[in-house]
Amino acid sequence: MRISVNSPRAIGLMLLLLGAAGLLVAIIYSSSVPALISLGLIFWGIIISYIQSEEYVKKTILNSTSTTLLTALDETLRSLDYRGKAIYLPPKYLNDPQSTKIYIPKLQNDTLPSPDATQKLEMQPTQKNAQGILVTPPGAELARLLETELGTSLLRIGLKDLPQRLPKTLIEDLEIMTNCDIQTSTNNITGKSPETQTNQNTIFVRFTTTALKETCKEATQLSMIFSNIGCPLSSVFAIAFAKATGKPISITTQNVSEDGEKNETEYTVVEEFTA
Amino acid sequence: MTPVFPLNLWDVSLVLAVTAIILLITSEILSPYYGAANLKISKKRLKNSAITTSILFLVTVAIRIATMIYGMS
Repeated sequence: MRISVNSPRAIGLMLLLLGAAGLLVAIIYSSSVPALISLGLIFWGIIISYIQSEEYVKKTILNSTSTTLLTALDETLRSLDYRGKAIYLPPKYLNDPQSTKIYIPKLQNDTLPSPDATQKLEMQPTQKNAQGILVTPPGAELARLLETELGTSLLRIGLKDLPQRLPKTLIEDLEIMTNCDIQTSTNNITGKSPETQTNQNTIFVRFTTTALKETCKEATQLSMIFSNIGCPLSSVFAIAFAKATGKPISITTQNVSEDGEKNETEYTVVEEFTA
Repeated sequence: MTPVFPLNLWDVSLVLAVTAIILLITSEILSPYYGAANLKISKKRLKNSAITTSILFLVTVAIRIATMIYGMS
């Protein structure tokens, strides 16, 4: 039999009132049994009223809205014909260090310009015939939420601490993932994939999500998003790495399981412009 | 007859202990993906409640220990 609880707040209030009445009776008659029952009722009344989450949105609504935005971004980039590899920029490439942007070059083999050039580009977003375009990544707001949950800016957390702090916040606080593993290859021994074992500048992330699995699955159908900008969750990691390392980051490979739950992404530190 | 609260510290301590255990176990085994339930539970708040109840229980234990020590002297 399925019991449907339609108004938990009302149930919590009812338990509280019953408990208070019971406690009054227990005090008047000096009886310990109603006192124990009343304490239990009061306690569960408080718990039921307190432990409810303030706002919840149905997963289907969340997925359908986020997928549309990703499709719009994909179509815009394809119509503007920016075909280069997306690069997540660290704060030094932007005018506002708190903002997050990705640089997409016009041509596939174009390199990343100097910080001055991207700052100028940011000031003139409608500049015609630009060699690249600056776009807000799909995980920008999620990264801001992550910073709020972490209680600090990602700029202040080094790459060394990220593998410990990010999974905990994403799994326990935001509850957006059920499993998350970050392997950095800075010391050349931590990477499990063959690529990370040989390359010094790669980060390998493996995560499982049920909350945004439909969005990640849909992202695989979008040519400009998948393996370039990444789905919103892969994008969050790229933003975090760019801020923590202070270096530009790009997504090298991204593998998503058929149901969209499991994701394996590899990030690379991009070589910077040298004058 | 003056109305008296019928429970002593020991009774309250027992109630708190039992509740703390239930809450701690629930907060650990609760999954955020529990299907068709309409009661939305914030896992973080449940864990906070469990910890608070446990601390309250420990306070009652501390009071009892203090009473024993000072009762002897």
